[in-house]
Amino acid sequence: MTTSPLLSVRDLTVRYGAAQALFGISFEMPQNSALAVLGPNGAGKSTLARAVSGLVASSGGEVRLDDRDITKLSPTAIRRAGMVHLPEGRGIFPGLTVQENLRMALVVEKSAREGALDRAFEIFPVLGKRRRQQAGTLSGGEQQMLSLARALMVSPRLIIADEMSLGLAPLLVDVVFESLARARAAGVSVLMIEQFASRALAFSDHCLILQRGRVAWSGATDQAGDELLRGYLGEAAAA
Amino acid sequence: MLSYVLAGLGLGAIYAIASVSLVVTYVASGIFNLAFAAMAFAGARFFYFLNTESGWGILPAALVTLLLFAPALGIALYGLLFRHLRLRSPLVKIVATIGVSVALPPLIDLVFGKLAQVTAPGLAPRPLSVLRPFGAVVNMDQVTTYIGLAVVLGLGTAVLRFTDVGLKVRALVDSEALTSLSGTSPTRVSVGVWAASSSLAALAGVLIAPTAGVSMEGMTALMAAAFSAVVAARLRSQPIAVVVALLMGVATTVVQRYLDPESTLAANLVPSVPFAFMLVFLVYYAIRGQAGDSSTGGALDRAIRPEGGDPALIPSRPRAGRGLLTVGTVATVVFLVVVAILPAVFDVYWTGLAAAGIALSIALLSYTLVTGEGGMVWLCQITFAGFGAILTAELSSTYGWPPLLAVFVGSVFVVPIGVLLGVLTIRLGNLYIALVTLTFGLLAQTLVFTQDPFYNFGAGTAVSRPEFAMDNAAFAYVALGAFLLIGLLILNLRRSTAGLAMTAVRWSENGSRTLGISVVQTKVLISGLATYVAAVGGGFLALNFQSSLPDSFNPFIGLVWLAVLVTNGARSIMAALAAGLLFYLMPGLFQTFLPSELAEVPILLFGIGAILLAKNPDGVIAMNRRKIAELSERWRKPQDTGPGPEPASPPDESREPVATVGEERPVTTGGRA
Repeated sequence: MTTSPLLSVRDLTVRYGAAQALFGISFEMPQNSALAVLGPNGAGKSTLARAVSGLVASSGGEVRLDDRDITKLSPTAIRRAGMVHLPEGRGIFPGLTVQENLRMALVVEKSAREGALDRAFEIFPVLGKRRRQQAGTLSGGEQQMLSLARALMVSPRLIIADEMSLGLAPLLVDVVFESLARARAAGVSVLMIEQFASRALAFSDHCLILQRGRVAWSGATDQAGDELLRGYLGEAAAA
Repeated sequence: MLSYVLAGLGLGAIYAIASVSLVVTYVASGIFNLAFAAMAFAGARFFYFLNTESGWGILPAALVTLLLFAPALGIALYGLLFRHLRLRSPLVKIVATIGVSVALPPLIDLVFGKLAQVTAPGLAPRPLSVLRPFGAVVNMDQVTTYIGLAVVLGLGTAVLRFTDVGLKVRALVDSEALTSLSGTSPTRVSVGVWAASSSLAALAGVLIAPTAGVSMEGMTALMAAAFSAVVAARLRSQPIAVVVALLMGVATTVVQRYLDPESTLAANLVPSVPFAFMLVFLVYYAIRGQAGDSSTGGALDRAIRPEGGDPALIPSRPRAGRGLLTVGTVATVVFLVVVAILPAVFDVYWTGLAAAGIALSIALLSYTLVTGEGGMVWLCQITFAGFGAILTAELSSTYGWPPLLAVFVGSVFVVPIGVLLGVLTIRLGNLYIALVTLTFGLLAQTLVFTQDPFYNFGAGTAVSRPEFAMDNAAFAYVALGAFLLIGLLILNLRRSTAGLAMTAVRWSENGSRTLGISVVQTKVLISGLATYVAAVGGGFLALNFQSSLPDSFNPFIGLVWLAVLVTNGARSIMAALAAGLLFYLMPGLFQTFLPSELAEVPILLFGIGAILLAKNPDGVIAMNRRKIAELSERWRKPQDTGPGPEPASPPDESREPVATVGEERPVTTGGRA
């Protein structure tokens, strides 16, 4: 295994027209690690995720995955380089069936197709029961499972999970964290954007707090005490 | 009876193939392909070239046309144009595809030669053999259309349902962002979709050629009929589009059974059938509130799609202090002076062209109103202009009104038509408005402009100019005066409360409603005004040519008008003047100084101009103005700020050179950084 960081972001800048969303973000993720990205609404967390995965173009800075420059690559090429971005909201194709959704996720890894589908249905048996159903008609939790399955049934280098627990019942939030823990156990790194700050911190090794498009604090999660979180995120978030 | 139904199914099958092509590209790429007619024409012309002119057999000619030429054309257009349109506003998307439909036919004519005789054989061997199932009569051309539709539907369904390629296409329709995140390149899928859709367009073109001819008119009529099916399908549903297309075909031929084919009623009713279908479905959807702009893609696509266009473009900063002596006003004054000198220095021929250009620019101001201010893409302004021309001619010649009175008062009678159309389309999305107005224009062309007493073998009704403006130069000044008058009115309107309401409605209808602005009232006001201005412009064109010339108000020429105008800039008043002059002076230059084979090149250039809009959505005038402003900024900066540049600190607003006129600036989401 190489000693270079898995993901290295340097001076990343993103703007939407006249509005600048990210101002020179820099951080590194070591190999086989988990990073929690926290911050209030509008801090730029999702923009950071989208810029790293290539969905929105950056206007400055550099992103490297496994020491390879991926700043200017298309999302397609970045996916092929081993990064899976599970976007905010329901990251599924609502018009396709469950099975077709999973097939789309396997486009990159053709050889593993049969085994991978079985693995997905093993992790989330409910998807197996609904394999011919249109994904748009699944419940919110099932849609999120489908989204997770797209990442868990393949073996990427890095999963970016953007607000996977948003709007889910507590039991299903547990499912999300268990699933991501399963990926960690398999040696997959996870960059997690979360509203449940304490759960995210318990899950991760490192933490990055964004505020108004800038890095407000970063460090190991065991140093991120309640005081700090309260200061940056407010009472509710630290709970 | 069965014969009529079978013939109708043949016609309907072609409509169906066309509507499938339109729907596929719309759902997969969010672009409504108004260049369909041009692409169908290109396919049919190429097939004619191989089959008739070069003596190839039907099968090899068809295979080369449908499997090589058409896909190559689709891929080329995608590479040159369509891929740049993804993030553009609906107006730019529509105008850029209009650009293709304007530029492609002259290009094809240049390459393959213009056809004098437009009737062409189809895919069935000649002489046509005839089948007689159950006592009905079917010719082989009709049979080939059935086969064509069956192959398209069968193959299309099989590919979409059961193959990986089809899966990727359907995934792209659902969400482009997610498709790319899944490791499938949306670009490659789109290329495939455009190649296939271009092939379908060519197939439809080849199949319709035996009945409608290898001509843009025939193809445009085909496209208009397909629009109706597509509107019925609410732009998305393939099965509904196919069924409605077949029904329309049958309705068209069955109607003919009960009519005398030689009567004018039959000649009028047949082209109206698709329009009637469209009207029924529109009213139905509008009442149910289902015909809004359907946004493509999922929530993620909307989240990463910037509202104001390309996120890479950083809009220019609002300039402080609008003094009298800005670069913009200086340029405007210089341009006006040049235009004013033109009639004095030109000879009679060129002055006549300039006068026509100025008259046209009045009509073009109606686009400035309806599209620039109202944000609606109307494609029938030329039809209003045509009504204006006819009314002016009738009122002044038949009823003896003074010519100018006939123009300004006669145009009032056209306003109700525009207002009615405005009210009908108010709840519709932009694309529907474009389709409805274009179809309306085509219908008016068939039902009014080409009918006597207005038509008179194309010459129309004679009109005389006002007595004080009989010669070209004097008339040019009268027209220029009218242009400036209307231009000033528009400027004033823009600054008024009503103008502010228009701007508010253009940016957000819901936002305006929350402010208590009546969207209906505002849009009716714009459509009424725009209709009036278009009719006045048409009246002046009639005065200029001293005849109503109904043929010159063909909606297809209207597309060229729009292409020229938007290329220059949809919101600038001077751009309308420049566009009008360009429209008449450039062909004049070509006719006078270049060989006659190049006569169609100006149209080609107009189309290319509109295509270039994909990269410069504000138009040429605004772009040049920006460039000039940048230059003057660079030139003034050293004098103003003195030595020692301060790159880190934001530039001081008060020291910014006053350069652009406020109205031309593109607005994007978000404030300043």
